[in-house]
Amino acid sequence: MSAPTIRDRLYEAPGPRTRRRVALFTVLALIGLGFLLFIIIRQFARQGQLEARYWDFFLKWSTWRYLGQGLLSTLKAALTAAVIAIALGFILMRGKLRQNPVPRWIATAVIEFTRGVPTLLLIYFFFLVLPRMGLNLGAFWRITLPCAISASGIIAEAFRAGVNAVPKGQAEAALSLGLSNTRTFYQVVFPQALRFVIPSLISELVIVLKDTTFAYVVSYADLMQHAKVLITSHDALVSVYLVVAVIYILINYALNRMSDRIAQGNRRPTVQRQGGAA
Amino acid sequence: MTQIQSRDVPVIELRHVDKHYGDLHVLKDISLSVGKGEVVVIIGPSGSGKSTLCRTVNRLETIDSGEILIEGVPLPQDGRQLAALRSRIGMVFQSFNLFSHMTVLDNMILAPTGVLKLNRKAAKDEAMALLDRVGVADQAHKLPAQLSGGQQQRAAIARALAMHPRAMLFDEPTSALDPEMIGEVLNVMTELAADGMTMLIVTHEMNFARRVASRVIFMDGGSIVEENTPEAFFTQPRSQRALDFLQSIRN
Amino acid sequence: MSLSALLSEYGDLYLRALLNTWRLTALCFAGAFAIGVAITVLRVCPVKPLRVFGDFFVQVFRNIPGAALLILLVYALPRLRVLLSYEMCVIVASVLIPSAFCSEHLMSGMNTISPGEIEAARALGLTFTQLIGRIVIPQALRSTVLPMTSLVVGTMLTTALGSQVPLRPNQLELTGAVNYINSRAVGGILAFAISAALYVATALVIGWVGGRIDRKVRILR
Repeated sequence: MSAPTIRDRLYEAPGPRTRRRVALFTVLALIGLGFLLFIIIRQFARQGQLEARYWDFFLKWSTWRYLGQGLLSTLKAALTAAVIAIALGFILMRGKLRQNPVPRWIATAVIEFTRGVPTLLLIYFFFLVLPRMGLNLGAFWRITLPCAISASGIIAEAFRAGVNAVPKGQAEAALSLGLSNTRTFYQVVFPQALRFVIPSLISELVIVLKDTTFAYVVSYADLMQHAKVLITSHDALVSVYLVVAVIYILINYALNRMSDRIAQGNRRPTVQRQGGAA
Repeated sequence: MTQIQSRDVPVIELRHVDKHYGDLHVLKDISLSVGKGEVVVIIGPSGSGKSTLCRTVNRLETIDSGEILIEGVPLPQDGRQLAALRSRIGMVFQSFNLFSHMTVLDNMILAPTGVLKLNRKAAKDEAMALLDRVGVADQAHKLPAQLSGGQQQRAAIARALAMHPRAMLFDEPTSALDPEMIGEVLNVMTELAADGMTMLIVTHEMNFARRVASRVIFMDGGSIVEENTPEAFFTQPRSQRALDFLQSIRN
Repeated sequence: MSLSALLSEYGDLYLRALLNTWRLTALCFAGAFAIGVAITVLRVCPVKPLRVFGDFFVQVFRNIPGAALLILLVYALPRLRVLLSYEMCVIVASVLIPSAFCSEHLMSGMNTISPGEIEAARALGLTFTQLIGRIVIPQALRSTVLPMTSLVVGTMLTTALGSQVPLRPNQLELTGAVNYINSRAVGGILAFAISAALYVATALVIGWVGGRIDRKVRILR
């Protein structure tokens, strides 16, 4: 734990009476939560969902290898979509920061569009409309492209926030040294902006990864699809879907943690640099 | 007269107070009493524990051992009793701490209406009178961020006064101010002292201390090193450490 | 199909779908906000097990993909003898996921409160309840208007999950409506463009209103 959070500030050091009350409520809460867990497990047991046949195939290596293959496809789609989204987002950000109103206006319109439209609608567009127009993309692109477009607007805004977070004096100093606008942006402003942007890019990856779960719409064999196959072959729906949900949650949790770590690490050196070496 | 009363029931009394932050012994066997109408000024180098001492009086800092009595009654440890006690002790902070989402006037009436259960009208009238007394009545409907530091601190003093406190704690009230604003805050404090308010003040303003204090307490390394009248302290301090400290600020 | 033909045949459907999307968004955001506040209270309360439970809740629903949650609600719950209507499954998913984000926004909103102001409130004799009600919650809400605005839009996008379950035509929302039309006629780009335009227009209005509110209540420091 680094800086004190609101949790620490909200309460003062407890007096004896407060301590007793907290202890009492802790016990009550434990009983309550334990009871909740008991109810859930009992419901599983009563409906026979705890039977070994629903769970024992998770002890087999082949099950995990199969799920792993699905996960690999999911990650492949998510990473591809993320890379495309970052490229698109960068272009949109450049457009939005231009002096010329035409590219600025177009970029703004595209950003607002991607931020206001659900990924599912875009997926259906790629799935239903484009083939009729003679554009036959494979399942892989039918899921990655809409996910990428959907994320590009938010990424553009993240880039823009990063660029705006770089102190104005940096650009002014570069321009006063005679650097061109383009050089100033690429050699001075953007590298510094990247530090601020990387955490939000990682959180965007989480959004893209979640969006790829709609891959079943376009019949791309991702983790969810592999889960479906397992369900049919073992006739075990609840256990498989629960395990898959946990896999998604853990991956996204890890990504979010990474993003937070980088963001926290970013804050300290920046402050020191401004104070010390300036 | 003041002396006799203070010996009877001190408004604030600390007996053998000790406090540690981990390995750091920040308050060492502190005993101190502030009588009714007294103005006690605590001075000392930074890190001497003077702010911590001030903050223990309304339990913003807890203590490890010893006793703190307010008007002869031990400081409550939690709940409504602690809140009630705090409402009777005013506190002024280094960083003003006006509530940033409320106008100055709303800052003034929050505790009188919420804690003392005054009706809004009465609270407002009194708030305006107090703001007028500290010279910021014309800022009543602004947000704290729109005021200068000096104005904010004067409003913060008025906010504390609106609770009719038995005593006021000042924790370095001018340390965050630009030099030209220090005077206006010290003037308000001087008037308050002249009106007979019981005050415990942590400050670096030596001239103010000399002028206003009934007693000066010099702290260093978590202990009270010297307790003296202001005249004696500033002209011929008894301890070497106080002498060194006074010399170091004069240079 | 031309725009006029599309509108004359499916105009009513679009209108109802738009109203359904609005209704779902409002309903789900209200639910998400209420649960978000309750979970946040658990997360900052001094009782450790409740904090842990609150954190766990947020991490689960912040990180679960909408499709995965919907599938659990639609297919897994009935096997545990919990039967929800299709529409209710969509609503539950569109409440739970945004509620986790709502709590995260509230937590970071509370982190912007200056510790000094909390001390000042204590020093004035405010009780804990008053401190929470008069200082902490008002400040947290004021500083989270913009993230909450994005969350309303996010909730609207989540309600597109409605297209993934079989709903009656009068229950369809904007994404489901496009599917419905495409399954019957060749709606083409236009059928999508209408839904997309309605989504974007709604998002812009929400953003505009949020911006106005934010300018009014933002805390100057």
